[in-house]
Amino acid sequence: MENRFGIKDFLLLLMLGVLIVVVLLAMKQYDRQWTVLREIQKQGLEQTRELSGIRRAIQSGGGFATRAPAAGAASQAAAAATQATTAPAAGDPFPLVRQAQQSPDYALGDWLVDNFGASVRKLTPLLGADQYQTIVESRVIEGLLYINPDTLEFIPLLAESYDVSKDGLTITFKLRQGVTFSDGHPMTADDVVFTFDWIMNPKVAAPRLRSYLENVGRCEKRGDHEVAFHFKKPYFNSVELAGTMGVMPRHFYGKYPPEKFNEQLGMLMGTGPYMLRDPESWRPGTRIELIRNERYWGEPGPFSRIIYNEVTEEVAALTMFRNGELDRFSAQPDEYVAMLKDQELLARTNHFEVESPLAGYMYIAWNQKRNGKPTVFADKRVRQAMTMLTDRERICKEVFLGYATVATGPFEPASPQADPNVKAWPYDPAAAKKLLADAGVSDRNGDGVIDAPDGSALRFRLTYPSSSKAYDRAVFLMKDMYAQAGIVMEPDPIDFAILQTRLENKDFDAISLRWGGGSVEGDITQMFHSAQIEDKGDNFPSYSNPELDKLIDQAKSTVDKDARLPLWRQCHRILHEDQPYTFLTNQKALSFYDKRIQNIKPSKLGLNYVQIYVMPIPWYVPSGQQKYKE
Amino acid sequence: MLSYVIRRLLLIVPTLIGITALVFSIVAMSPGGVGANLVSAEFGMRPAEREAMRKYYNDRYGLDRPYVVQYLKWLNKVSPVGFRAAGAGAGGGGFGFKRPDLGESFVRGRSVAGLIGESLPITILLNVVSIPITYGIAVLAGIYAARNRGKILDVTSGTLFLGLWSFPVILAGVLMIGFLANRQYVKWFPAGGLTDVLADAMPFLPGRDASGAWQRGWLLDVAWHLVLPVICLSYGSFAFLSKLARGAVLENVQSDYVRTARAKGVGERDVLMRHVLANSLIPLITVGAHILPALITGSVVVEQIFSINGMGKLTIDAINTRDRELFLSTTLVAGLLGLLGYLLADILYAVADPRVSYE
Repeated sequence: MENRFGIKDFLLLLMLGVLIVVVLLAMKQYDRQWTVLREIQKQGLEQTRELSGIRRAIQSGGGFATRAPAAGAASQAAAAATQATTAPAAGDPFPLVRQAQQSPDYALGDWLVDNFGASVRKLTPLLGADQYQTIVESRVIEGLLYINPDTLEFIPLLAESYDVSKDGLTITFKLRQGVTFSDGHPMTADDVVFTFDWIMNPKVAAPRLRSYLENVGRCEKRGDHEVAFHFKKPYFNSVELAGTMGVMPRHFYGKYPPEKFNEQLGMLMGTGPYMLRDPESWRPGTRIELIRNERYWGEPGPFSRIIYNEVTEEVAALTMFRNGELDRFSAQPDEYVAMLKDQELLARTNHFEVESPLAGYMYIAWNQKRNGKPTVFADKRVRQAMTMLTDRERICKEVFLGYATVATGPFEPASPQADPNVKAWPYDPAAAKKLLADAGVSDRNGDGVIDAPDGSALRFRLTYPSSSKAYDRAVFLMKDMYAQAGIVMEPDPIDFAILQTRLENKDFDAISLRWGGGSVEGDITQMFHSAQIEDKGDNFPSYSNPELDKLIDQAKSTVDKDARLPLWRQCHRILHEDQPYTFLTNQKALSFYDKRIQNIKPSKLGLNYVQIYVMPIPWYVPSGQQKYKE
Repeated sequence: MLSYVIRRLLLIVPTLIGITALVFSIVAMSPGGVGANLVSAEFGMRPAEREAMRKYYNDRYGLDRPYVVQYLKWLNKVSPVGFRAAGAGAGGGGFGFKRPDLGESFVRGRSVAGLIGESLPITILLNVVSIPITYGIAVLAGIYAARNRGKILDVTSGTLFLGLWSFPVILAGVLMIGFLANRQYVKWFPAGGLTDVLADAMPFLPGRDASGAWQRGWLLDVAWHLVLPVICLSYGSFAFLSKLARGAVLENVQSDYVRTARAKGVGERDVLMRHVLANSLIPLITVGAHILPALITGSVVVEQIFSINGMGKLTIDAINTRDRELFLSTTLVAGLLGLLGYLLADILYAVADPRVSYE
């Protein structure tokens, strides 16, 4: 009889399977050990190098001026105690951290566990260019200056001081002495010049950054600790342009040719308070863990680790925050309202509603020219009337549940660029109808629908990006508001990539979008200068006002802030009168934080620690409440 | 048999070309084209920046060339037989065998083969755990139901499995996270990911650490994170597989050879285990081959919900960002595995059942 498959064969197969699994698991464990071993080896090598450096310094009888890094909570508490009596010195790069250190429970330690709502694709600077990459990079790579969130002034960080020449064309930075990268190499002017030249190298995949810096002619080394940036023409934001460029270590990034550099995904090293455990080993899909840079030249980062998870599913992220697995949660208005009702959650967390110049604004742009012919929106009175027909208060209340305010112009209300005397156009259908009638737009044939000057019914399409609940709801509210006035609006939601081509071809009636605030002091050339109408510029509604053009040009080239701000305010008044956009809302950023994190305060930039900027973290966890120990 | 297999293998080539050509033209026809997303991925880009980006991508990936040329170039690149790039390898230029190259992801700027190499093991892990569970439960339930045909257990298990089969995974996953991984209700499982934040510092096996506190260990931590995703992956297949097992057992129980065996006086238990079961497993084995392509793409939803970076998430990401090279490659891999799976199934039919012949 032939041999049949029996219990014995099955057991044999099963054992074989178990054996394979065990071997695989053993391999995995060996791999884990190998990672740890490599790390220890690397640390050992670095310590040897450091020791030999110290030995050399002792032999040559000097070099004791470098400060010893403060380690451990105890020594830090002692340091804080002594500092309590000394006021922060002028030119101190860490005013906010010093303030925090004054509180008796200030301590180092614990982790900050955060979440990114998307997968990070690259960590290498210059190449990534999404906000998550920027957040991680800003902890690791520092610039010459940073923005103080309380005063919006520049504070020298890697620079000791800076100086702008009278004509505004040259900015000289004196670099701080004794700053090293996280691997112990000293930072010098060579690294700054290297960074600039590297960005400008056409082979490096940083086209966007390159065009951003095109106004900088060159970066010149003037000794080991001094660099000068030469600009082609005076520009109001030149200090920010040069000063916030992250300094990349030449010995680390320069070892690859540009083509090879472009393929690097996780190469991240700088002088900052945090670092990757291994500056080259990060791979997409693995959790991003930053550890404290113990060689940091300044005040050490408060958290011993910062961890960024990548939980994309919103329910999962919210659940994890509720469970205490995440320390921060950015909420949508509806989530925020629901979370405020949860007493148990409120007892464990703090919540913040802040306005920030970085939040941007939502608007409707009225296309004034189509196929070479002016549209009905080319008349200023029609645009003003459309704004008065839009009940923006109601949008703030019903779509953003009160966590938004009516926008009056392209500048955030608290921004020094905004004119506080500009009052938003009211919701006033009667006045709007009168303005429309003045412009020759009224219901002439008595069918209840308002007619354009050429006799056809006034109807238009409102294009807006699809897959956003907020836009959907706002647009449907507006459809009703316009319908009540006898204007037919057809909602036209489309995919963002297609929307982009429509914008470039100026192929729309009206479009609703939002602009994000790029920097503290915004440059409105891109949207409102008439030079941006041609050549696929961002003045897609073809708005043109020669007076505004002149003001913008003047403001942009005025380096003196006190002379410049009135010009921006004048721009604000003109835009309010002209209404090229119906400015809709400035939204608030809503966030929840775990209660153990102390010293979270509102600032002029939102909160007093803004992730997407390079800045020292003034937050901390008192030692009694620390959750994660090393 | 051999000639049949060779014929089928040769047929795979035009089928794959057809699949990829279709996918390629769909991407190419999408409004705005492939490049649209690359230049609009960031909001508020200045026109000069956008133009610079567009030019850079055109230079680098040849996106401004005719679509047919782009497709043929891609086809040549991934094919193991074709024109060699001039200057590459010993031969340099010319036509012949070469290394297939899946190209480079537009958005991530690295080799597609590397990306797939990182994601595939994670998806395979998920499936290697869930498929035996699915099969085990479904087959046992099916046999049990067949033996108790028409009784209350048969009816309830059938109804229950059908109910599970019709319950959408996307809802089940979110409900499980919301109720089973939530401090407000019960916090039995983690809400996402494959490892804990502390996992790297954990020992491998569970045990007590120096201070005597219980430590989960890396192995148990991964297993714990796998529970919810595996449940989501497996519950939907119970109905199909158990019905198949039940039907096969029933059919065999009523056949002549079983009656003969019983007439010979073979015990009921032996009849079932030795004769019926062996014959009933044939359809289940062949169905298994069809599961191969699902290995790659089947866990799309589950990976997305539980934030697991496997093939499914990679594919979704590629579609969302219109990362053509990556998307085409995942389609190619899934298509190839699918076709091989069907071929394997057909071969298994012949092996398992001598009546089937392809001569």
